[in-house]
Amino acid sequence: MSDLRSPEQSYFQSKWWKRKDVREVVVLWIVFTGLIGYFSTKFQNIAMGKPASETMENVIHLITTFTWASSPVAGFVAALAVEALIQKRHHGDNPPPEADHEISSSPRATALWLVISALLCLFALVVGLIALQKDDQALLDRNAIHVNVTGQQWAWSYDYPGSTGVRSNVLHLPVDQPVLFHVTSKDVKHSFWVVQMGVKIDANPGYVTETAVTPNKIGIFDIRCAELCGLLHAYMQNKVIVESKADYEKWLASQPDTGHTTWKAEGASS
Amino acid sequence: MTTFATKQEKKALIERLNVFTAFALGAISAIVVWRLALAFLPADAELSPLFTREDKITLLSMIAWFIGFMTGIGALIGPFRWVQGKDLSHEENMFYAGKDMGIKRYFRYTTDHKVVGIQYLVITMVIFGIGGILAMLIRTNLGKPGGGWIHPQAYNSIVGTHGIIMIVGTIIMVTGPFGNYIMPIMIGARDMAFPRLNALSFWLIVAAAIPLIWAQFIGGISTGWSAYNPLAGQAPLGMDGYIMFICIFAISTMVAGANITTTVVRMRARGMTWNRTPIFIYGVVASVALALPAFPVFFLSQVMSGMDRALGTSFYNTALGGSGWLYENLFWIMGHPEVYVILIPAVAALMEMAPVFTRRPLFSFNVAVMGIAGISGLSILVWAHHMYMSGWAPLLSAPFMLTTELISIPTGMLFLVLVGTLWRGRLWMTVPALSIFALLWNFMIGGITGIYLSDVPADAFLHGSMFVTAHFHYTLMGAGLTGAIASLIYWFPKMTGKMLNKRLTWIAFWLTQIGFNVAFMGMFFVGLQGQPRRVEAYAQIFSKGNLITTIGAYTIMVGMLVLLHAVISSWRSGIKAPMNPWQAKTLEWTVANPVPLENFEVLPTVTSDAYGYGKASS
Repeated sequence: MSDLRSPEQSYFQSKWWKRKDVREVVVLWIVFTGLIGYFSTKFQNIAMGKPASETMENVIHLITTFTWASSPVAGFVAALAVEALIQKRHHGDNPPPEADHEISSSPRATALWLVISALLCLFALVVGLIALQKDDQALLDRNAIHVNVTGQQWAWSYDYPGSTGVRSNVLHLPVDQPVLFHVTSKDVKHSFWVVQMGVKIDANPGYVTETAVTPNKIGIFDIRCAELCGLLHAYMQNKVIVESKADYEKWLASQPDTGHTTWKAEGASS
Repeated sequence: MTTFATKQEKKALIERLNVFTAFALGAISAIVVWRLALAFLPADAELSPLFTREDKITLLSMIAWFIGFMTGIGALIGPFRWVQGKDLSHEENMFYAGKDMGIKRYFRYTTDHKVVGIQYLVITMVIFGIGGILAMLIRTNLGKPGGGWIHPQAYNSIVGTHGIIMIVGTIIMVTGPFGNYIMPIMIGARDMAFPRLNALSFWLIVAAAIPLIWAQFIGGISTGWSAYNPLAGQAPLGMDGYIMFICIFAISTMVAGANITTTVVRMRARGMTWNRTPIFIYGVVASVALALPAFPVFFLSQVMSGMDRALGTSFYNTALGGSGWLYENLFWIMGHPEVYVILIPAVAALMEMAPVFTRRPLFSFNVAVMGIAGISGLSILVWAHHMYMSGWAPLLSAPFMLTTELISIPTGMLFLVLVGTLWRGRLWMTVPALSIFALLWNFMIGGITGIYLSDVPADAFLHGSMFVTAHFHYTLMGAGLTGAIASLIYWFPKMTGKMLNKRLTWIAFWLTQIGFNVAFMGMFFVGLQGQPRRVEAYAQIFSKGNLITTIGAYTIMVGMLVLLHAVISSWRSGIKAPMNPWQAKTLEWTVANPVPLENFEVLPTVTSDAYGYGKASS
């Protein structure tokens, strides 16, 4: 180290991994990645509560995975930002002296950044496609029971094909039994959302859409309309009661024939 | 001016037209057409749906308002002359440019880009003021669980109106004031390529505002800003106001887009090659160039919606062979590019400021340009991610997931440019510099939550919930509005000749940023808990998150009022600004305060890019 060199010169002549600010960024990066990943997943898990189906477990798993995959990126940006904030701040009405370098690009940093962001993007895509494939498989399950869902302003009603014309305003489902919903609407667009089971599909007038899920917990869960459908959209919600197979059969048998001829949805095979 | 006005009748007419004659002629036309339509329009055939005759009358009156207003402001004088085979004289053009006219030029069809810029700035602030009041009504109503004190019909209308006017406000917030005032000076031009189109684009927005206000008195916009059919088909007459508003605004955006694009392509100063063109210009051009294909589709979607309502067509009516999915497609083909129309210029403005406030060159100019171009290109291919759960085309989920997630790559480039510029800079701690950090923070959260939403299985849970609302507020407000406010502080000295009060803007910055993060973190929380969007009442379990959001919203309101106070007081009696207060190197800082009518006496020649900061190190 020659005495003649200014601090800037010795900075740029030192190996990059020996520089003080680079080392600070690395430490900050590790700390921030941990903090962001930990608190974000904590926040998400507290909010999302207990899942009531494997589909919802997958949703929570996906969101957790994405959070951990993106926290190094967020942590890195945060580390660079904090490093910029703790270095050489200048207050006042006049500009500070110009920076001690005129670096206007770095092909290496750019290439590295692009490769990493492309890999992360690919990772997100593959993870998403695998989960999507599972959801699509569920639609083809031959053992599924069928439920026809009709939205109208501002209520849901449920028909049970194969029963004696049973129609209910509270959805009943047997536990651990795949179920395929055929969803439509009588008037405007609604969106059928079984919250704790992580499934949703729009109810369109004139069309039948489908979604499938296997509830895996006994209990009472929420169904809400997720598409603004007019005056009382906020109140368009009811419950789904998931019960044992025996209780479900008992309930179904106890229901009167409401006289509604069960509409047979396109693609409904039973 | 007065001498030539007294000489000839027609010149006197030009001089007499202003915003008051416009309003008067617009109102008279609307009333006359309304009375005529009431008297002569035949009653509906028995089979036609409800409201059709009333819809015809409403739409006709609104069209009459529009034509009357535009005639009254003087938009037709130029075309009228051309029909006669003449053009305006030089004196008349100078009059149009607002030469020696003082404050009056802001109330006329003035073509000077600096006047249009100020007009846009004021109308943007008015829009944000009204939209903000509506937001406060929404948040106050949602302060406690169960139904609020606002009637559901009125509540839905407030939500819809808040949505659409904030969308319009954010679309124009950067390209309007700064794209018009600063951009031509920044590229070294004397005015826009089409000065009269510039005036037209502004006054169209004023003309559009009235149908929207009108709509509030005839049933409101109870469909949310997206106005999905068939809900919009059964909505009250207020929907016609929405349709008219969108149609006029779409024309305004198309006109502005053509004008700005032409100006930048054709009128850059000698020597300003694409490599030397400031990054802000790229942002503005990308924004308006995206709007150019997007807004005709928006226009069309609303024309079809209006025809379904008034003429009994069935573009969107399933019972008669149409499809609501058609509307959704048209709407989002506009709607997804549109979010980048909002975001790109705001981010580009902060990229423009980053070198100034770190005193070093912009890091990787080429990457910044590629990022902007990449986002623009991809953004027209992602619209159906808004329709994953619509059932329209389940097989397209995977390809749209691909295009949507690909956008994270060019978006990442913008982050690289910003953090790269901050690295080893000399940070000048001003509010615009702090805004760069705020943008990184908010845009990071908005961007990552966008990845969750782009993923189809996760979207099956998140779609239509408050999570989505929080996500797009993080991008459009947390990133977009932050960039726009930073632009206001940065260019305020050039636009008004005064410095914006530093202490007040600093207070406003922290209040809005803290309030914003509190408000929308609370909203993420209730979204993940399962609260749908656009609800007027909610269950007990959502009460904590909603209360936090409401508290955050009030904090934002206080911050915005402080900012408003700073703008008004500094504009009236602030410290006089030097010509180049930030010691920046772009061309707008080389002209005097106040900027002369034709900006440059001698047009500048450019020999380098505008980011030559930093000393050589060896």
